[in-house]
Amino acid sequence: MSNMSEHSSSDSREQIAEAYLKVLRLIDDRVTPFLGKVTTRVLVQGAAKKVSSTYPFLHFLIKMPYTEIVPAVMQEQLSGVSTVELAAALDALLQECFAGLKELTGDLIAPPIYDEVTRELEQLH
Amino acid sequence: MESSVQSQTRPTESAYRSSHIQNGDRIAAIREEMEYLNTIGKSFVAAIDRFQVHRALLAALQELYSFAACSILLKGEPFDLSIIPCYPLSQAFLAAMIERIASAASVIDFPFVSVKELAIASYLDAPDELSIAQEQDKIGGTEICSFLSIPLTVENRIIGMLSLFDEREGTFDSELLKLTTMIADYAAVALENVRLRERETALWRQAEIGRQRLELIISSMAEGLLIANERGGITLLNLSARHLLAQARVDLKQEIPLRELATSSNVSWLPRLVEIIDQGLKGETVMNQELIAGEAGESVPLTLSISAAPLHDTSQSRSRPIGVVAVLNDVTANKQIEKLKDEFVSVVSHELRSPLTAIKGYTQHLIRRIERRLRKTQQEYLQQGKAITTADIPESYDLRSLSIVQSQADHLERLVNDLLDLSRVQWGKLHLHYSSFYLADVLSESVRSVQASAEQHTIYLDIATQDTSIVADKMRLSQVIGNILDNAIKYSPHGGQVMVKLEKQTDEYLVSITDQGIGISPEYLDHIFERFYRVRNTASLQYSGIGLGLYVTKAIVEGHGGRIWVMNNEGLGCTFSFTVPATGRSD
Repeated sequence: MSNMSEHSSSDSREQIAEAYLKVLRLIDDRVTPFLGKVTTRVLVQGAAKKVSSTYPFLHFLIKMPYTEIVPAVMQEQLSGVSTVELAAALDALLQECFAGLKELTGDLIAPPIYDEVTRELEQLH
Repeated sequence: MESSVQSQTRPTESAYRSSHIQNGDRIAAIREEMEYLNTIGKSFVAAIDRFQVHRALLAALQELYSFAACSILLKGEPFDLSIIPCYPLSQAFLAAMIERIASAASVIDFPFVSVKELAIASYLDAPDELSIAQEQDKIGGTEICSFLSIPLTVENRIIGMLSLFDEREGTFDSELLKLTTMIADYAAVALENVRLRERETALWRQAEIGRQRLELIISSMAEGLLIANERGGITLLNLSARHLLAQARVDLKQEIPLRELATSSNVSWLPRLVEIIDQGLKGETVMNQELIAGEAGESVPLTLSISAAPLHDTSQSRSRPIGVVAVLNDVTANKQIEKLKDEFVSVVSHELRSPLTAIKGYTQHLIRRIERRLRKTQQEYLQQGKAITTADIPESYDLRSLSIVQSQADHLERLVNDLLDLSRVQWGKLHLHYSSFYLADVLSESVRSVQASAEQHTIYLDIATQDTSIVADKMRLSQVIGNILDNAIKYSPHGGQVMVKLEKQTDEYLVSITDQGIGISPEYLDHIFERFYRVRNTASLQYSGIGLGLYVTKAIVEGHGGRIWVMNNEGLGCTFSFTVPATGRSD
C-alpha cells in the first residue's frame, strides 16, 4: 500500500494527530461489527507494537486503548516530534493495521475500509 | 380534492403493502437466523470436551461455507493447535495452513510461536467419516486460495484463534462474516468451559491424590491421631490411636460427644481425655499432657502423652474452633525407665546413707580425739614454759585433713538427702509433720546459718508482719529457705546483698528472696523447678549441684498447699517467691 495521504508542511502536529485519531475511530467503527471490539483493539495495539521499534513515541498506543485517547493525551505523548516524522509514523501505523486486517480476513473487509480511510484523510487536509 | 386524495392514497397503500411484505421477509429471516443460532448454541452447550466442540464448530461452519479445513489455536503453555479437516488434506496444504496460522497469530498479539513449534504442537482432529474418503484416495489440493482468521474472545480476552481455509478462491463471504464471528464466540465460550472443566477435574484429581496421600500418612503414623468436632465427638482416629485407646472398649468413633461417653461408661481415663479436648475447643493448645490409659494394678500402666490444638476454619478469622486435633504418644516405655531409675536412685541413696553415717560419725570422733590431744599437748608445752601455737603441732595437719573429710561428707549427705527426698516425692511419700511455730524464727535461723559461711554476702531479713505464727513442717520449711538461700549465695559469685522478706497475705505468708547474682536466662525459667534440670549456660557451668534442690523445694511448698515461682529482676539477679498457708494445708 502506498502512503495514504500527503500532508502539507502547514499542517500542525495537532492537526495531524487529530486526523489520525479520527481515522482510527473510523476503522474501529467499521471493523468492530465484523470482528468485535476486542479484536479491533488488539489489531491496532499489535500494529503499534510493530511500528514502535521504528517510531518509539508511538509506544503509548500499545498499552492504552486508542478509543480512550483524546487529542490532549496525544499531544502530550507526541511533544517534540516533528510533523513530518509524526505523519510518517501514523501512516505506518495505519498501513500495519490494514496489513493485520488482511492477514486475518484477506480481502473480505479490508479494501472498502481502506478506501474510506484514504478518502477521509484526504478530506481532512 | 377527492381524486387528489385517492391519487395520494393509492401509492401509500401500495407502499404499506410493500413495507409489510418486506417486514414479513425480515421477520422470517431473523426467525431463521435465530433458529440457526439456537441450534448451534445448543450443540456448543452440550459439548463436554474439546472434540465435541470441534464437531459442533465444524457442523455450524459447514452450514455457512463449503471449505477444506478449519483450525483452532489456543493460548497456553504449550500452545494447542487442532486442525479439523473437512476432507483429507495434502501435506503441502497442511504445511501452508500452519504457516498462515503463525502469521495471523502475530497480528493479534499472540506470544511468538514459530511455524516449527506450531507444526510440532498441531493435532489433526479428523472426523471419523474421513477415514472412508481416505480409502477412496480423495486428497485435496496443495494451495490455500481462501482463508479467514477470527480471534476467539471470552470476556474481553483473546483465548485463541479460529482459522478457515479453502483451496478455492472466494469461498468466504463478507455478508457471512458477522455470523462466522458469532459462531467463533460460541466456540470460544464452549472451549473456555471445557478448559475450566478440565482444570476443575485436574484440581479435583490433585485434591483427591492429596487426600489419599494424607490418609496414607495418617494411617501409617506411629503416633496416634485423633480429631474431634466442635461438639467434642471423635471424627477421626487413625490405626495407632485405635490401638492405643482400645482398652476403653467403647466405640469412640461414633461422633457422640466424649463428655456423654465419659458419663455413660466406666472408663476411668475418659474424663481426663474430655478435659484435654475441651481445652482445645476453648482455643488453647495443650502440650504433653499425661493420660494413664492402662488397667489399675499394673506396675507401669499404659501411659499416653497427649498434645492437642484447636482447629480453626481458615475461611473465618478469629472464629471459635471447629474441632480439635490431638496427637497421642505411648510413653509407657519412658515411664518404665523412669520407674527403674527412681528405684535405682532410691536404693542407692539408702545404701549410701549407712556408710556415710559411719564415715561422718567416725570422722567426728577422730576430730574430737585430735582436738583433745592438741589441747593436751599445748597444755604440756605451757607447763614447760614453752610458747607454742596449734600450727606447730603435727597433729594439727591431721585435724585440717579430717575437717575437709567432714565438710565433704556433709556435702555428700546433702546430696544423698536430696536423692532420698526425690524418691519420696516420686513415690508420694514426702510426709509433712505439722507443728506450730513462728516463721520469723525459722527465717532468722536459716539466715544466720547461711550468713556464717557467706562472708562476701550480706543477707538482710525484712519481717513485714507482726504475726508470724504458722502451722507447717518446720524442718521442711527450713530446708526450702536453706535451698533458696544457698542458690542465692552460689549464683552471686561476686558477693552482694541478699534480701529475705516475709509478708502476710490474707491466709498465707509470702516469702521472697532477692539476690544480685547472675540471674536466669528467660528460656530456662519454665524448667528451673524440674528434676535434674540444670541451666546450661557458660556462666552456670562452674557451679556444683545435681539439679534436685529446687525440685524438692517445689514439692515441699506444694505439699503445704503453697506456690513457688521465680522472676528475673530488672538489671541484676532474680527473686524466688513462695507462699505457704498460715494454718496448714486446707484440703
